Amino acid sequence: MADAALFVTDLALGLLLGCVFAVIAHGLNLIWGVAKVVNVAHGEFIMLGAYGAYFFNVWFGFNPLLSVPIDAAIGLGVGVIFYFFFLFRELRGKESMGPQSEMVTLVATFGLALVLINLAQALWTGNNVGIPWSPGVVQIGSVQLPLGGLYVAITSVAIIGLSHVFLSKTYLGNAIRAYSQDIPATQLVGINPTSTAAIGTALGFCITMAGGALLTVWLPTGIYPAMGNLYAPISFVIVVLGGPGKMWGSLVGGLTLGVIIDVGQLFVGGSIALATAIGFLILIPVLLFRPEGILR
Amino acid sequence: MTRVLEVSDVHKYFGGVRAVQGVSLTVREGQVVGLIGPNGSGKSTLLNLIAGVEKPTKGAITLDGQRIDRWPAHRIVGQGIAKTHQIPKPFLAMTCRENVAVAVMFGNHKQRQSAKAFDEAGRVLALVGLERKADMMSSNLTVQERKRLEFARVLGTGARILLLDEIFAGLSPEELRAAIALFTKLQRETGFGAVVVEHVMRAVLTLSERVVVIEEGMKIAEGTANEVVEDPAVIEAYLGVEAARATP
Repeated sequence: MADAALFVTDLALGLLLGCVFAVIAHGLNLIWGVAKVVNVAHGEFIMLGAYGAYFFNVWFGFNPLLSVPIDAAIGLGVGVIFYFFFLFRELRGKESMGPQSEMVTLVATFGLALVLINLAQALWTGNNVGIPWSPGVVQIGSVQLPLGGLYVAITSVAIIGLSHVFLSKTYLGNAIRAYSQDIPATQLVGINPTSTAAIGTALGFCITMAGGALLTVWLPTGIYPAMGNLYAPISFVIVVLGGPGKMWGSLVGGLTLGVIIDVGQLFVGGSIALATAIGFLILIPVLLFRPEGILR
Repeated sequence: MTRVLEVSDVHKYFGGVRAVQGVSLTVREGQVVGLIGPNGSGKSTLLNLIAGVEKPTKGAITLDGQRIDRWPAHRIVGQGIAKTHQIPKPFLAMTCRENVAVAVMFGNHKQRQSAKAFDEAGRVLALVGLERKADMMSSNLTVQERKRLEFARVLGTGARILLLDEIFAGLSPEELRAAIALFTKLQRETGFGAVVVEHVMRAVLTLSERVVVIEEGMKIAEGTANEVVEDPAVIEAYLGVEAARATP
């Protein structure tokens, strides 16, 4: 009986955590879909989002939720800069990214990742920090859930839902979707490809950095310069699980991975590292049997 | 004001290949100009030059007297000149309605309110007979349906001058008859101008008020359909010197 309660608790925690994972993966998915670039520095932008939330807490006493819109706004700016520095010259006037441009952007973003990690280490030391924020717990039946995690999960789903509405209901969103499918065709319906790609990339960074802020709620002492090394692979796995380019794929993939990690702990003696490894192992059968992702 | 598109003495070289060598033509809103010529004569290149997909090496393209030949393609669409692809390029992960709606949102109309754009897209799809497929993914369309969607997208931009690259190719005789009738009807109703590049001679000769013939990137004839088909230079270009001599 106790085991069953534990299982339900971990399942619920996994779902809450999965929502946040979904956001950071959603950011990656957007950048991947729009810019056709696998952003190797993805984890470092999550790290920057997390540090953003940390410093807003230290300076202004903001809780992570309050930092989300600020991080998101910074992310928009960072995304535009990233686009014009790293992608514009490779994508300009091209119908798609050739192998050479892919190589260039891959190496460039890898370099960027190293620069960002080392810069963060130099500026903020390699020590772990965290945001002390615990708004309490809520008792639902036999399950106790942290309110912080609950708020963050709701925010996460809202962010993904809003981005979905933006992409399908607004003219800019439709342009971004069109651009991600066929670049030359977008020009012939009158869409400016450069500004569209810049906005789409910016949106991806906006969501990624907001995700970094949300994640801090789950990391009482887990903010450090190299934290991206864990969360970038998690994002990649989720994108592949859910299906690259699918709008709800990130949410489905995120929830799946969150549950696997939290429930998986129960079976491997409470080791999060092992449970995460199990989450990554799941990728192999998915790639073998459903390479297009869980979603149809 | 009716818009006038003028192409004057335009050249396009790809390295040593002279794809277009000094072609001039004029199209007004409401007027259909046929553009014919043997394979590789530079017809599609000329359309790409007008649409801004390629930039001319030499010469000028103007819309109502304003130079547009250095403009990016999307800006030209925004001024009411839109082109179909020879091979249809729908946005495959979008429904037909969304495909046309983005054109309505960004082309000449710039209808930024998506609800209105989706309504307008539905209306345009009905014009080309795709209303029943409006909410189907465009990837599920047949080749001919994709061509109609491509045409709907151009109409959706609200273009006043259409550049149509082989939209009648590959149709059966009945389909061709229906397509020509539809095109004529739409052209009369909306009063757009068009440059029609076509291999299907019947389509060009029926639709076009004027026909321009190019060969090896140069204009060899221009006139009404009847004048052009009797021009010895044209017969020679299409059928060879012998045939041209044999024609009385």
